[in-house]
Amino acid sequence: MATVTNWIDHLSAAEVQGAIYPGVGTEGILVIVALVIWIGWHVLTNNSESKELEQLARKRHSANDHKSNITEW
Amino acid sequence: MTDQLGALTTIFTEFYYWITVVLMFLIHVGFCMYEVGASRYKHHQHTLMKNTMLIPLVTVTWFFFGWWIYWAFPTGPGLAPSIMNGSAALITDDSLFSAKWYVPTSDLMAVNLGDHISGVFWAAFLLFSWTAASIVSGAVIERITTFAFGICAIAIGSVFWSIDAAWGWHFDGWMLKLLGYHDAYASGVIHAIAGGFALGILIVLGPRIGKFSSSGEPRNIGPRNPWLVTIGLFLIYTGFWGFYAACNIPIFDLGPEYGMEGVTYFTATNIYVTPTTLGGITMNFLMSLSGGLLAGYVIAKGDPFWTYSSGLAGIICASAGNDLYHPIQAMIIAMIGVVIAYKLHYWVERTFKIDDAVGAVAVHGYAGVAGLIICGFVLNGYPSSGYSVGSMWVGTDYAPINPLGMFIGAVIMFGVLGLIPGWIIAKILHGMGKLRIPREVEIAGLDYNLLEAARNDEKAVSSSTR
Repeated sequence: MATVTNWIDHLSAAEVQGAIYPGVGTEGILVIVALVIWIGWHVLTNNSESKELEQLARKRHSANDHKSNITEW
Repeated sequence: MTDQLGALTTIFTEFYYWITVVLMFLIHVGFCMYEVGASRYKHHQHTLMKNTMLIPLVTVTWFFFGWWIYWAFPTGPGLAPSIMNGSAALITDDSLFSAKWYVPTSDLMAVNLGDHISGVFWAAFLLFSWTAASIVSGAVIERITTFAFGICAIAIGSVFWSIDAAWGWHFDGWMLKLLGYHDAYASGVIHAIAGGFALGILIVLGPRIGKFSSSGEPRNIGPRNPWLVTIGLFLIYTGFWGFYAACNIPIFDLGPEYGMEGVTYFTATNIYVTPTTLGGITMNFLMSLSGGLLAGYVIAKGDPFWTYSSGLAGIICASAGNDLYHPIQAMIIAMIGVVIAYKLHYWVERTFKIDDAVGAVAVHGYAGVAGLIICGFVLNGYPSSGYSVGSMWVGTDYAPINPLGMFIGAVIMFGVLGLIPGWIIAKILHGMGKLRIPREVEIAGLDYNLLEAARNDEKAVSSSTR
């Protein structure tokens, strides 16, 4: 996984390789993983938000009901 | 980097942009505080999280495709050939400034010893993206769903502003060549487009419950916490210093860049690689802030909310030409912009029943548009680029700055890339039933469950004996 194992060898090469992160060449896989996380996050949060809004809407609180919940820690 | 002067220039430039990113972070802190201060108690926490979550949403998409768009789209595509490769197609070839290097799988989109600049430049532009999305966020508080806002934030932050930056901010942009477009500190490319986008959403989203009386008269809602609004706006002012600096290139030798044989001329430049000075733009920044505050204080009769916002609107209005204006010109232009923005805000509110909760459309959109149009007159005849300047509509050459080109540019920024996409996306989200929170939730407050849970915790803790 390590792209660099010896800095002296790396920096004294005829042409210094720029990319030094682990797993150079696996960028495509990393992007796919990130895309899955990104889409999954939207799906999860959309579902939970819809559920939360539906439940709260059913309770039909008035505009001032929240005032009874103001804390005085 | 093997010679000392080259290394010093590169690392100075890298550090310069890095500092601008840190400073610009304060813009977002300011917007968060401002929005929370402007929203009502029962919506505070959701309002805060909505604006906070645009950070990861826009950042990740900026990595995926936003940055690529900026480098690919300067030609339109199809509107004007690139000065780099002579083609009007998307710039995806092997040239130095091609989008090819900025796909998410590129090894330049990471720690790379061969490229010290792309990462900080990517970040500086990303912070502009957050600003664009955050401008929209304030206008729609207390009734948009977090999901819908996330989609809108990605659209304005990683797609539409990136297209407009490619068109009107890139040194190879078609709007410079065909229109003589000039927008040094983003009156249009950030502010007008974000204001227009917000207006497009607001048309579909509708006003907050209670904003208008049954006879259609607008009512004032808040701000609930004027002190948080004040600190928020001061932080936005502070972050704007970073914004201005990030729109410059700190050190550049224009002699070889413009092909002038034997000439060496080191200077700071604006985003178009034409010369300016950090000192001059600092004077203009402060004088336009002052003009905005002076005009806002008078027209809003000392109202703090509008006076602070007017300081911002003043800077925004003068920003298009603040690389070249005289400081007194900047001040007067700022004053004009503030009057226009304030008057238009209330006219649009009354006439079209638009509920812009924080005045974002006015401060950013109307002031930005006014700034572009004024810039066309005041800087009429200046070159829009240093590379080659010809007459208007001549393709590869660059048209000089002119009133008609700047007016068309303003329409493109506010209308074509702002209002219309915002309206279409909002319509789609509305059609899916995802745009607006249920009426009952808006009345109860988005934070109702959070407040109730906190109250129950408090009761449990206070009744505990061990």
